[in-house]
Amino acid sequence: MSWTSDPILEVIGLTKRFGGLVAVNAVSLEVGRGTIVGLIGINGAGKTTLMNCINGIYKSDEGGVTLDGKDLTGRTPHEIALAGVGRTFQIPRTFHRLSLIDNLMIPMLRSKQSDDELIARAERGLERVNLYELRANHGEELSGGQEKLLELARVMMLNPALVLLDEPFAGVNPTLCRLMIEQILAMRSEGTSFLLVSHDLTSIYRLSDWIYVLNQGEIIAQGGVEAVRNDPAVVEAYLGG
Amino acid sequence: MNSVLLMNGLIGGLVFGAIYALIGAGLNVIMGVLRVVNFAHGEFILIGSFMAYAMLTMLGVNPLYALPVVAVVMYVGGMLAYYVLIPGLARSDDPETSSFLLMFGVSLMIISVLTWIFEADIRPVNFSFNPINVVLFSIPDAYGPNRDGVVLIPTARLVALGINIVIIAAMTWFLYMTLPGKALRGAIMNRDAIQIVGINVHRLSAAAFGLATGLAGITGVVLTLVIPSVDPNGGADLTLFGFIVIVLGGLGHPVGALAAGVLFGIVEQLSNVVLPQAAAQMVGFIVLVAVVMLKPEGLFGKRQSR
Amino acid sequence: MASVEGSFEPRSDVRSTRYVRRAIWYLLVAAIVLWCASAPLRDANMSFYFSFMMWATLATGLNFIAGFAGYMPFGYVAFYGVGAYATGIGLKVLGLPIYVSVLLGGGVGVLLAVLFAPTLRLSGVYFAIVSLSLAIILQRVISLLPEEITGGSLGMNIGVVTDRIEGYYAMLLVLIVALLVASWLAESRLGRALKAIRDDVEAADAMGVDVGRSRLYAWMLSALFASLAGGVQAWFTGAFDTLTAFDVLVTAKTVIYAMAGGLGTVLGPVVGTIALVGIDEVIWRSFPVLNNFLLGLIITLLILFAPRGLVGTLMRLYPRLRQYVM
Repeated sequence: MSWTSDPILEVIGLTKRFGGLVAVNAVSLEVGRGTIVGLIGINGAGKTTLMNCINGIYKSDEGGVTLDGKDLTGRTPHEIALAGVGRTFQIPRTFHRLSLIDNLMIPMLRSKQSDDELIARAERGLERVNLYELRANHGEELSGGQEKLLELARVMMLNPALVLLDEPFAGVNPTLCRLMIEQILAMRSEGTSFLLVSHDLTSIYRLSDWIYVLNQGEIIAQGGVEAVRNDPAVVEAYLGG
Repeated sequence: MNSVLLMNGLIGGLVFGAIYALIGAGLNVIMGVLRVVNFAHGEFILIGSFMAYAMLTMLGVNPLYALPVVAVVMYVGGMLAYYVLIPGLARSDDPETSSFLLMFGVSLMIISVLTWIFEADIRPVNFSFNPINVVLFSIPDAYGPNRDGVVLIPTARLVALGINIVIIAAMTWFLYMTLPGKALRGAIMNRDAIQIVGINVHRLSAAAFGLATGLAGITGVVLTLVIPSVDPNGGADLTLFGFIVIVLGGLGHPVGALAAGVLFGIVEQLSNVVLPQAAAQMVGFIVLVAVVMLKPEGLFGKRQSR
Repeated sequence: MASVEGSFEPRSDVRSTRYVRRAIWYLLVAAIVLWCASAPLRDANMSFYFSFMMWATLATGLNFIAGFAGYMPFGYVAFYGVGAYATGIGLKVLGLPIYVSVLLGGGVGVLLAVLFAPTLRLSGVYFAIVSLSLAIILQRVISLLPEEITGGSLGMNIGVVTDRIEGYYAMLLVLIVALLVASWLAESRLGRALKAIRDDVEAADAMGVDVGRSRLYAWMLSALFASLAGGVQAWFTGAFDTLTAFDVLVTAKTVIYAMAGGLGTVLGPVVGTIALVGIDEVIWRSFPVLNNFLLGLIITLLILFAPRGLVGTLMRLYPRLRQYVM
């Protein structure tokens, strides 16, 4: 009964507890191939926890995750990354004392191509996000917005089938935001799928093919942009309480 | 197994346990509030011991009177040391490891200074109470039929235990009943939140460091009552015992460290009785490794949610 | 999926800087090797040059796990001591030739590293403390072993059977190998992976780096060179006991030399050793107590004012230099 006939990611009945707190409660969702799925919810709703479970940073207590038919449940983050799931972080985690080129090379270390070829690809990746000029600088020398762009460029070097974006626009100035959105849309047209967590509802409504609404660890609504926008349960969760 | 030896071991365990508890408490304050690993804590304790020794041999002052002097001097010294050493740490890539190395450097310096002043030999602290021992109780037939054993405790150790208990009680009262103490515990739990509430973290940290240093100094003085000698190279063992205690009790857990200290003291003293000497020496470190590998949050700590 | 890129030639000056970087580094290595190799022929103080080679090897070895991977092994001397004892046992108890005994020492060191590998899962300070404790335990265990094997508290004396000059050149060989391995690591994928682990282990994991395996390799390499150094030191000086073989000051000095130059580059530890070993030797001979004070002072000042060491601070201030530093 999924909204998409060709899911790249299937999350089924995922549950994660921390002691007595149930952070994620039997969540099921799908991301269609080549689509952008938005995940919204107020602070503490469980969005980042859910992402951490999908990419292996947390081990879920119940439920499973499948990528293109492959079962990822219980795997380590690096296995999941190599299987094709990329991840950006809410607070950017660039490699501080590596050059930007080296930052982008890290996801490609398993590649059979030569080092020079990888460097060329990294340069290309930096150009796409307007960071080529700073290629020799270290990660710690970037501004917050630039770090987010770097994370995006870096995760693309994995050639991922699916990218988990955790608050990519938070604290980023409008120009850089536009650049990021351009890149995300370009990648979608090349076939990459996205699960996008954001508080910036404007971007969510603009980018998402489908939206899930999370509240207190549970999916309380899902649908297309218009449906979610006007759903009374969603309005109440955001404004009421 | 001779029951007299066993009882002595147990009582020794309490005496040393109280000392380890104090060491652990001091270390915990520094680690919890400042996230600084004080590798020089043992040497701070040595400073206290040597001050008591110097006051005894040069001024003829009883260690019990030296105690408050040492406490105050070291509290002030600790606060000064804080301002000199700690703010610089914030600039490094890995403050925790950096603090470890920094305090290791400080410990080397302290040892050299102490060795230079007092020379490398172990010196006896010639101070005794009258009577030397206190009889606690006797165990009938301990050495065979109609040969009773008597369990004694050196008076100095009894006094030391008494002082320790008073200090531990005072510290607990301070941490749980007074406003500055609660601020300290709050800082341990959440450093950032404390700032939001309007407390000057720097002053609090300096005071915390001073408190811990003062505590170390007191521990040093009391130590001379329990082991009546001073040794410039004895700090490393003390520091390591301190780490064992706070790891056992859970990092940042003041009460945990107290309980762990007593527990560890008993285990250590009993193993000295039961095991051959060399093996007993290793017990402490093996406990540390085992706890860190199996239950890193300590016996009393809470598992981090990450 | 993202499309295939066009041509794969780097646009930037990556290639030319690479050649310059290597030229500078290998010239320095050649100079060091020639200078040390000729020392016995120039009638210079062999002990001093041996010291330099040994500390440079130790600092380089430490750099693999501390500078590249980001784990500070405060029990590093454990490998050094084990190397010395394994070499001694190989020579005196098993009757092996000295070369083989030293290699045995190296092997035992690596084995020990594999045994202690689970401790790498611990973070920062816990790792440092456990590492230190394990070194202490090891020291005490060895001093408990039967005297026929390890000499008990008197230690082992192998000087009668070994040749000092051979030992000197053996250390040079070990140093050369260490520097070559370091050169390889600096430009390899493993080296990059380790630095990512150092900077942010979770992000590295999420980017596909096999953290456990990479860390283990760095750990094994670090242990190898420390234990080889310990073995050759035993060869050269002819005698050791549990106090000298497991002295925590060995770790301390290694850390200072490596940090003074700068962890994370291959150049750093070598520069740091060159800078400090002379000062250290001079002062240690005349004023042992002052020496420890100075050691402590240097560590303190280093951490407070130049935690990235000489090379590291220069690189922070002058980004352009970074590509020329190996």
